[in-house]
This record gives sequence, C-alpha cells and structure tokens, in this order.
Amino acid sequence: MRKVFDDYRALADNVLRPDEPRVDKFVEAMGKSLKKENWTFWLPYVLSLDYCMKCGTCAEVCPVYQASGRREIYHPVKRSEMLRSIYRRYFTLGGKLWPGLVGAKDLTEDGINALAESFYRCTVCRRCAYVCPVAIDNGLVVREGRKILDAIGIAPDELKDSGTQIQLKAGNATNMGTAAFLDIIEFMEEEIADTWGRQVKIPVDKKGAEFLLMHNAGDYLAFPETVMGAAVVLQAAGVDWTLNSPATGINDVVNYGVFFSDGELEKVLRAQLKTALDLGIKTFVVGECGHAFEALKYLMQRLIPAGERPFEVKSILELEAQWIREGRIKVDPGKNREIVTYHDSCKLGRLGGLYEEPRTILQAACQDFRELVPNREMSLCCGGGSGFAIMAKGDFLKFRMETYGQLKAQQLTDAGAQVVALACSNCKGQFREIINYYKLPLRFAGVSELLANALV
Amino acid sequence: MDGLIYFVGVVLPYVTLLVFSGGFIYQIVRLARAPLHLHWELFPYPETLGGQVSELATEVATLRSLYLHHRKLWGRSLLMHWGIYLQVLWLLLVLGGWEKVSWPGFAGGLACLFGALGIAVWRYTDPEMRTISSPADYLNLFLVALIPLVGLITGFYGQADLLRSYLWGIASFHPIPPANGPLALNILLIQCFLLYLPFGRMAHFAAKYFTYHKVKWGEVSRHA
Ligand code: SF4
Ligand code: SF4
Repeated sequence: MRKVFDDYRALADNVLRPDEPRVDKFVEAMGKSLKKENWTFWLPYVLSLDYCMKCGTCAEVCPVYQASGRREIYHPVKRSEMLRSIYRRYFTLGGKLWPGLVGAKDLTEDGINALAESFYRCTVCRRCAYVCPVAIDNGLVVREGRKILDAIGIAPDELKDSGTQIQLKAGNATNMGTAAFLDIIEFMEEEIADTWGRQVKIPVDKKGAEFLLMHNAGDYLAFPETVMGAAVVLQAAGVDWTLNSPATGINDVVNYGVFFSDGELEKVLRAQLKTALDLGIKTFVVGECGHAFEALKYLMQRLIPAGERPFEVKSILELEAQWIREGRIKVDPGKNREIVTYHDSCKLGRLGGLYEEPRTILQAACQDFRELVPNREMSLCCGGGSGFAIMAKGDFLKFRMETYGQLKAQQLTDAGAQVVALACSNCKGQFREIINYYKLPLRFAGVSELLANALV
Repeated sequence: MDGLIYFVGVVLPYVTLLVFSGGFIYQIVRLARAPLHLHWELFPYPETLGGQVSELATEVATLRSLYLHHRKLWGRSLLMHWGIYLQVLWLLLVLGGWEKVSWPGFAGGLACLFGALGIAVWRYTDPEMRTISSPADYLNLFLVALIPLVGLITGFYGQADLLRSYLWGIASFHPIPPANGPLALNILLIQCFLLYLPFGRMAHFAAKYFTYHKVKWGEVSRHA
C-alpha cells in the first residue's frame, strides 16, 4: 500500500480507493453534514469548526501527539484544520473571499487520502476537549469527519463490513451462531467449577428476567474470564438474570457506529432494543465495554424516544458496586493479594462518569490497590479507542503500540502494578498487546473477574 | 477632513451599532436554534447553577485551563484578557460619569498591548504554534493590540470627559463629532473592532456559553 499520510495505513486500498475521484462527493457530503439534518451533533460540530482559538492547549494533553515526540502531523489542531480548511473554502464567505487569510484550501484527492488516514489516528478520547479553554472538541471533529468519509464509502471494514453489518445479520460482530454460543456457555460452567470451585448455572434466553447482561461478544472468545467472573458475581448476588443467544436477536453489546456513523449507531441500538423488548427484561446491563455504555446510556437517550425503551440501562460496574455497598455480596480482599491498579477507560470515565464504581469494587476486592497517575478525567487513552483495538492491518498495531501504547506502558511501569484492572473490552484488547509488545511484568484482568475471585 | 470626522464620529457609530448587535443576534440565534444534539457531556462537570457559575467565573478571571495545561501561554493571555476587561470597565465608568478615573484605561491598555504582542511574538517564534497559525490569527491579535497602542500614543485614556460627552451625544441621538482628530481615530479603531467582532473567532466569549452549558456540561444529571 502506498504512503498517503505517515508510515501506517488504517484503511486498505480497496476502502480508501486513493486514485479514484472523490472530491466532489466529499464536498457534497460535507455540505450535508453542515445542515440541520445532521442534528445529532450539529451544535458541537459547528462550534468546533468556528471557534477554535488555536491556543495549542489540546496538544499539551493529546496522548498521540505527545507520544509521537510532538510530530506536527499528529497535532490535534493540524488534524482538525484539515477539515476546517475545506469547510472555510467551500462553505464560508470569508473562505471564498480571502482563502489565504483565513486558512481555506481547495480539496484534492491527496488531501482526502491524508485526511482519511489522519482521522484514524485519533481515538476520540476527548482528553483535549476536557481541558480546552473554549471546550472545542477535536475528537468530535474527527468523528464528524469519519461520518463524511463513511458517507462517501470510506470506512474501515473491521468496523463496518465485518463489524456493524455482520452484527446486524448474525446477532454479533464475531459471527458466532447459537450452537457455538451454547457450547461456550457449557464450557464456561465447567471452567468456573474448575477455577473457582463453584457450581454456576448460566441462564440463557430467559424471558422476563430482571437483568439482561449483554457482553461484548468478543469477550466470549478473547476474555472469557470476564464473562465467567460476571456470572459468578450475579449468581452470588442471587439476582434474576440472563444472558442471551443470537437466536433472540442481538447478543453483542458493541456498537461500532459510535466510531464512525450515526446511521449504523441507530440501527444497532434499535436492534439491541428490539431484542431486549422481546425478552421482556427490566434492566439492560452493559457488560465490561466502554463504548457500548456510551451508546446505550447516553447516545440512545435522544435518538430513541423514552417511551420506546421501557427499561433501565446500567453498567455491570454500577450493580457490582451497589451490591458491595449493600452487603449483598461479601468479599475478602485477601484473596487478591497482588498490587492492582485501574485504568479509566475514556468511554466509562470522561464520557460515562463512572469513576467511583470501579474503585469501590477494587478497593473492596483487592488488598493493595494503587492509582495510575494521571487518572480519572485526565486518564490517558490506552489507544484501543474508537475502533483501534480491532484494527491491526499493515503496521497499524505498531502505530498503536509506539504512540498511545508507549505512554501507557510507562504509566504501568511507574505504578509498579502486578495487575491492571480493566472494565472495557477494547482496553483489554489494547493492553494485551501493550503487555506483549513491551514485555511488561504484569497481567490484565477484568474488574468482574477480580471481584469474583474475592467473593466469600 | 471635517467631513471624514463627521462620517466616523456621527454616521459610522450607528452603522457599527446595527452591524454589531445584528451580527451578535444572528450568531446567538443561529446557535440557540440548534437542534438538541445527542448527549455528549464530559465528566465530571458542575451540576448546580452555583457550581457552573463559579467554574465559568474562575475560568474567565484566571484562565485556569491555560494555567494547568499550557503555562507558557497563560501569563501573556491573562495579561491580554485582563487588559481587555479593564478597558471595558473604564469605558463603563466613563459612561457612568466617573470620568476622573483614568487608571483602568491606562493600565488596561498597557496590559492588553503587551499581552497581545507577547502572544503574537510567541505564535510566530514557536515553531509548533507557527504551524497552526493562519494570518487571521495574527490579524486578530493585531487588532486587539492596535487600539491600546494608538490610545496610549494619543492620550486617549486621558480624554474621558471628551469621550463621555461624545458617547452621550450618540446615545441621545444628538451626535456631535469627536472633539479632535486623535479622538476620532481611536473611535474609528474601536468601531472597526466592533464591526468585526461578531463574525470572527474573537466572539468565542459568547460561543463559550454554548460549548460549556449545552455540550461539555450536558443538560441533565447523569443520575436523572
Ligand atoms: S481546540 Fe481548544 S485547546 Fe486546542 S487550540 Fe483550539 S481552542 Fe485551543
Ligand atoms: S480526542 Fe484524544 S487523541 Fe484525539 S486529538 Fe483529542 S486528545 Fe488527541
């Protein structure tokens, strides 16, 4: 694949189609994005296009910019300006009259290539937006840019063709059928007996249950300990709960639409909603998955009228913390003796507001819990966000490791932790690679897994 | 010359007033009529009105984000912003009849001039800042610096009594031309600034209401 931006390519040639004419289509799609039919993010989008003061504060906190050794091409403002210069040139009076003065540029095919790749170097972690004096959001600009790209047919196949599209057809983005799913559940019940010495019956497809727990389907294959840990905890809490199989509709809580398309976002949400309604459950519990929590807890609220979703949405972390506080489940921190730290996933923390819940759980369940520095709202994105965790074509994994991953590895080393607790599946995917790549002397674990381990 | 002063002092102010208020109303209505976007807040944020007011006031008065995350820019920016606040305060005092108080004007002018120049120099000399700056960014700073520069040279901040009778003339629709050429020049510069203000990035102080209240702080408690 030829070089179009830096040494990496997130988008394959058949997706990017670098030699096809796309300028007119891009400008047309951008014109649409500026209209109110793009109501979902119109206000923050327009504000972020018009009012950046170019003060550079965002760059001081941007993980990819900092980790790259402050490479100009990764500067958040440089990236946003790629889109803004088109906006000014084609859609503002000032840009038409005095392009040089205001920073307006003609769009070229090469410009589209560079923009498309550049917009897949930012994880939309929104650390920059949190510190921006004007609250301008480079992450949002990136997401809107990705929407425009998707509108002209440019979206990573991991996220769309083999992502949302498969999920909508097969019920999960891993393309796992019901029989395979049930096999895994059976296997897990045996594993739980072996590991924790507990007899757990994992309920599947139970109608009218109080809690429907939906995991990131990738967890069944990649991080089964999280799924098993959650099952142990739910059984210990003695609540009425269920998992669901693809036979009932969607059994995968992920929603890659969050990363690149409002249309896909809504389709997946509606499919998940329908599944939950068919099952007649009372609370939709999001497993350990950051962006899914953002989608179901926040993005869904104004996308789908309240009357159409007669159930509550909760993160499994909220329930676990609540049950510990209520004394519904009892834990012995002595069962987790290693030094444990916690990485705040951007989607659960800055975007989700779940800072206390994981700490309540981990402080109760682990003997020696230590914070990473910085943490909470200033947590550094691990580099798995906005779809990156499942994108590894070409050298893209190297990009993830050498930038975001490098900062995270350093942070973990400084904390001296033996276990890093994670509550987001994409973070787990990224940390697995970071630990390998930098040969770090530690392991990662799901929060539910650590909790299950500490149950008495 | 007299004709020019008449135009600048008697005709232009009403044009400025119309364009300035029209421009701001247009921008604010444009943003206020935005469709309700999806939740996109960032946690934590102040959930009570008191908390929000105090956070915004702290930001406006101390530029805390810059202090915490971009210290190199903070001092100059604070100087410029307080320079602007003081000059506005001085104008209000003059209008209100305190024409003997000239120090906020002088001090504000000085602070604003050096702050804006300091930012411009840094923008130009720091390679990283230079690559993200467009000519418009320098133009903004230049405009902000030009008013106090000319004002300090021509003794504008010492002419409060003349300025006051002039401003009252405008306000009471019995305009009188500015008493002298330098005063007219200062008034012209301020008008240019006001004519441009609603249409550029310098209106960020107004946009901030929307970026903070409507977006970053959300509009509901997460417990709702
Ligand atoms: S996005 Fe915010 S922090 Fe970054 S340059 Fe623009 S105004 Fe400054
Ligand atoms: S959203 Fe995160 S990665 Fe993207 S520009 Fe902002 S700080 Fe950098």
